[in-house]
Amino acid sequence: MMGGAWRRLKSDRYGMTGLFIVIVFSMVAVCVWSGLLGQGWSDVSGNRWESVSTTHWFGTNLLGQDILQRTLFGTATAFEVGLLVTFCSTLLGTVMGALAGWYSHGWLDEVILWLKGVLDSIPFYLFAAAVAFALQGIPWAMHLAMIITFWTTTARIIRGEVMRIKQREFIEAARAIGLPSIKIIFRHVLPNTFHVLLVQASIVFVAAINTEVILSFLGLGIQDGVSWGLMLAESSQEVLAGHFGNFVAAGTSLFVLLMGFNLLADALQDALDSRRATA
Amino acid sequence: MLKKTKIIILLVLLMLGGCEQPPPTDSGLPAKIYRHAMDGAPGSLDPAQATSLYAKFIVVNLYDTLYRYKYLARPYQVQPNLAVAMPEVSEDGLQLTIRIKRGVYFIDDPVFEGGIGREIKAKDFVYSIKRHFDPATRAQGAWLWQNRIEGLDLWKTEGSDYDKEVIGLRALDDYTVQITLSRPFPQFVHTLTQGYAAIVSREAVRKYGQMLSNHPVGSGPFRLVSRDSVRAVLAKNHGFRQEPFDLTDEGFDPAKHEKLGIQQLQGKSPPFIDQLEFEFITEDAARWNAFSAGELHFIKVPVSQFDNVLSQRSPLTLSPQYDGMYHFEASPEAGFIYTNFNMADPRIGYHPDQEQNHRNHALRCAMVKAFDWEKRNEIFFYDIGQVFPGIIPPSVPEYDADSDTSYVQRDLKGARELLLANGYDETTLPTLEYGFPNSVTERQIFEQFRNFMTDAGYPASKIRPLIFATYGDYQRAYSQGKVALINSSWTMDYPDVENNMQLYFGPNAAPGSNSASYNNPDYDRLYKTSAVLNESPRRTQIYREMNQLLMNDCVSITGISRTLLFLWDKETIMKPDRSFLGGYFMRFVDLVDSASSTAP
Amino acid sequence: MSVPYITSRLLYGIPLMLGVTFISFLLMVHFGPDKTYELIGKNPTEEQINEVRQSLGYDQPFLLRYGNYVKELLTLDLGLSDSSGEPVSSILIKTLPISLALVLPGFVLGNLLGMALGLLAAWYRGKWLDKLVMSASVVGMSVSFLVIIISLQILLCTPYGLNLFPVRGWQVHGLGSYFYYVTVPTLALVLVTLGYNTRFYRAIMADEIERDHIRTLRAYGAGPAELLFKHVLKNSLIPVLTRIMFSVPFVVVSGSLLLESYFGIPGIGLVTFNAITSGDQPILKAVVGLTGVLFVLALTINDMLYSVVDPRVSKS
Repeated sequence: MMGGAWRRLKSDRYGMTGLFIVIVFSMVAVCVWSGLLGQGWSDVSGNRWESVSTTHWFGTNLLGQDILQRTLFGTATAFEVGLLVTFCSTLLGTVMGALAGWYSHGWLDEVILWLKGVLDSIPFYLFAAAVAFALQGIPWAMHLAMIITFWTTTARIIRGEVMRIKQREFIEAARAIGLPSIKIIFRHVLPNTFHVLLVQASIVFVAAINTEVILSFLGLGIQDGVSWGLMLAESSQEVLAGHFGNFVAAGTSLFVLLMGFNLLADALQDALDSRRATA
Repeated sequence: MLKKTKIIILLVLLMLGGCEQPPPTDSGLPAKIYRHAMDGAPGSLDPAQATSLYAKFIVVNLYDTLYRYKYLARPYQVQPNLAVAMPEVSEDGLQLTIRIKRGVYFIDDPVFEGGIGREIKAKDFVYSIKRHFDPATRAQGAWLWQNRIEGLDLWKTEGSDYDKEVIGLRALDDYTVQITLSRPFPQFVHTLTQGYAAIVSREAVRKYGQMLSNHPVGSGPFRLVSRDSVRAVLAKNHGFRQEPFDLTDEGFDPAKHEKLGIQQLQGKSPPFIDQLEFEFITEDAARWNAFSAGELHFIKVPVSQFDNVLSQRSPLTLSPQYDGMYHFEASPEAGFIYTNFNMADPRIGYHPDQEQNHRNHALRCAMVKAFDWEKRNEIFFYDIGQVFPGIIPPSVPEYDADSDTSYVQRDLKGARELLLANGYDETTLPTLEYGFPNSVTERQIFEQFRNFMTDAGYPASKIRPLIFATYGDYQRAYSQGKVALINSSWTMDYPDVENNMQLYFGPNAAPGSNSASYNNPDYDRLYKTSAVLNESPRRTQIYREMNQLLMNDCVSITGISRTLLFLWDKETIMKPDRSFLGGYFMRFVDLVDSASSTAP
Repeated sequence: MSVPYITSRLLYGIPLMLGVTFISFLLMVHFGPDKTYELIGKNPTEEQINEVRQSLGYDQPFLLRYGNYVKELLTLDLGLSDSSGEPVSSILIKTLPISLALVLPGFVLGNLLGMALGLLAAWYRGKWLDKLVMSASVVGMSVSFLVIIISLQILLCTPYGLNLFPVRGWQVHGLGSYFYYVTVPTLALVLVTLGYNTRFYRAIMADEIERDHIRTLRAYGAGPAELLFKHVLKNSLIPVLTRIMFSVPFVVVSGSLLLESYFGIPGIGLVTFNAITSGDQPILKAVVGLTGVLFVLALTINDMLYSVVDPRVSKS
């Protein structure tokens, strides 16, 4: 099944463009993490609001920091937020969704559905603000807020999948020979939801990066370091005075990366579509 | 589809139904509306809670105080407002007798019998001050009078019963107040100019309680029409007492004020405008654009526009393109910006071990040397802030222009040497938290600070940001000693530098205003000696000595006073002020007749 | 739809509402911002700090405070703002119409345009027009709300662009000034939602158009307008309603939060934003609690609607 999906993905021009963009950006992120790029994000290397030049490709900001360095470092921040949030929320969503689906209409299912309903009912930005209050000074407050709210969609999807798969013959067989539920869920049920998870994860990734920007603007974002959201928040104070460096650099990077992910997510969805895969 | 649009338009029109009409005027002329930009919104408008600059600005226009400052005289001079004259002071300086004007009435409000405002009596003043000592008020001005008025603190411990008399705060008759101080307090009359000392009526407090903020019932030159999160609208109080404007009384100086047109006001009774609008616009760029578009009469120019507005920095000169359009004034802020070290923190402040104590002192002094005031001034204040050593800023007479400024001059080499000599390197330097409430500018200030320190070899990873969602949470954290480096600004409450000196008085340690928790017996002794003195060469000498103690101990990286630039259009006749006079100037604002009422 | 069914749905909403109120209380109030230090005077004594804490109710036990909160929500007696002293309910009544006036045009336009584009794409499924619309919608989905707002502001409100509209504010006195202030926020809202809306409407319409009876009608030459209103929209009414209902809380609270704080518009979003940055608990807990409750109500009504259309649902 995966081989076929890869073939279909390869023939999708938009999807491959998306994949290419994502790979380029993730390589930048890896270079930042390994200390090769963006290490000078905090250093003052010029004067206030220098314009574009060979030393400062995107100019400098108010403090005289190089905007290119900050944009590069911001890429790593975006990936750190995206990966962490996607991984944790997908894991949490999968476990909760699988439990709910397996024990559907049981008390566990009810509890999980209730929790999901509660979390979905609180407007997200307010919830993020509340988590930021509660975890004041803890660097992961924003990440946690996103994980806590994003898992519910994944859980809903997985729950549906599990309920469907549960009725298939091979599962019935595994139950008949007395395999414990946990084992069946993790060995036999969940692997069959992989394609759904992959698509959902790429959607969560986009949402996480997008949300970071808004939360940073609202002052609920990351603690130390720099992110595109912080750069945009900075730019909102500068553009009316005619300084566009932060806005152009962060806005463009954000747009290109999100575009890459959106294209990839679409292509993945098409390539992994189970109806098409089995056809 | 068309129907839908129609319904929507109708709905919207319904929602917008209640828009305000310009107020009627005495003469049938178009209403004079003055629009004033403020860079923040006030909290409560209850005088007892008028803490913020913004709240105080509005409160003194809605209510009366016994004293205010003269409109034009600088340095600031106290002037009777509701009081008839300056207080009569007993020989020992402890007993003050103040007579208040007769025939002054609160505005009409349902809280009064028949809805007609009643006359203000001496007991109203007594009541208004007592409120600060009643826990039910949630008042914020008690610190002005705490332990200073005979019997007032006791009145509180005995349950804040308004029917009980306080020996030191009495209404001798309907128009005479007598105050007895428990020790000499030269700044006392200044405290009576504060918004906190504004006079409220007991009827209004009883009826509105916490909601007094939204139903101000005062006797000031204006009354409140409406208020929301972005603006407050005040209208002329037609019953305001007639007191003709007197140029000499207010400190008119032809050389300075004639070009503003203020001489035209002679003999007229304020307030001169019909409506006063405060626009609360926090974003600098938005405020500037609104002013440029002619939607506002006055603006405190945002720092980001300094390049645009000024053609030259010394002397400060307005760009030619604005010169013909606006009046312009540069005025130093009454206060300063500084970064305290938390002296109660053994990693950087006092340490029981003598040797470590000494090393901590060296570390603080090295950080003071590493700090680049020139750069701070250039980036955040466009080079027109005034950097000065210590806590006695250039705006006060006690400032010593000839003093040694090495404390505020960057000495990277000295900083490095000092660190080295005391055994500090990347591994042994402590990790310090630098706290700030979340905002773009605060974060930039932090990053600049960290850069200054890394220049001297402090590892960036060892100066950690500690970000708070609200200012209150930040205050709580440093008041509880959880922040090592405390960036603050201080705005003086009254024009006497004693107000700055108390910032490092031991008993005022956190949660008091001595956020550094500085505790030096020599300093405290000098403070106590000087606190009862009036302004004099001897007092100045003591203050300068105290200033030197602070610098010797490297308690704080200090300081800079910002220079504020004001612009106002040529239709407006006024001399604006943002410090001690503050909102009191608005009753004297007038608009040139032909240009009035330019509603957009 | 039977009475017992309605009752059971309503009963089901109760634990949900309890959960919403409990979590918002726990985070916003129990662990929430502390306003004490903003409300004390200078040089306070320990005693004065405690007085303020007491008057803010911070010293009361957890369960008592939670109980009071639920009672406040039930009676709609929401207390007074800690900042301005104004009753929270009167603040909400004053600001809600402004927020609605601000987001309604963008919301309606965004959905109508999305519907039109979605239909267009579905109608020409697989053709170049479909591809164009779909590519454009991916572009639209990839631009951050904040970037849209800042770009529009530069393009429409500053001398660097057309300089036609105000940078900020909301001084609406009539229809003219309403359009003057609402245009840029509306455009921003339309742009940010259009990509998602178009894709959504295309998906459901494509499903409908593929159905046999529609195909037949189409083959007989029925026009797009007739098909849309008579058949397609009617059949997809439920998913459309669901979407609209569930996006209302997003648009009113989250959308206005960003738009109003950026454009300085005195609606419920700005009030909430100020409450976040100043730690005004009474406003925060009222806004969160009420939107949560409204959301649960919407959820319940939605369930009932489904059961009207598809009676099997209520049996399961």
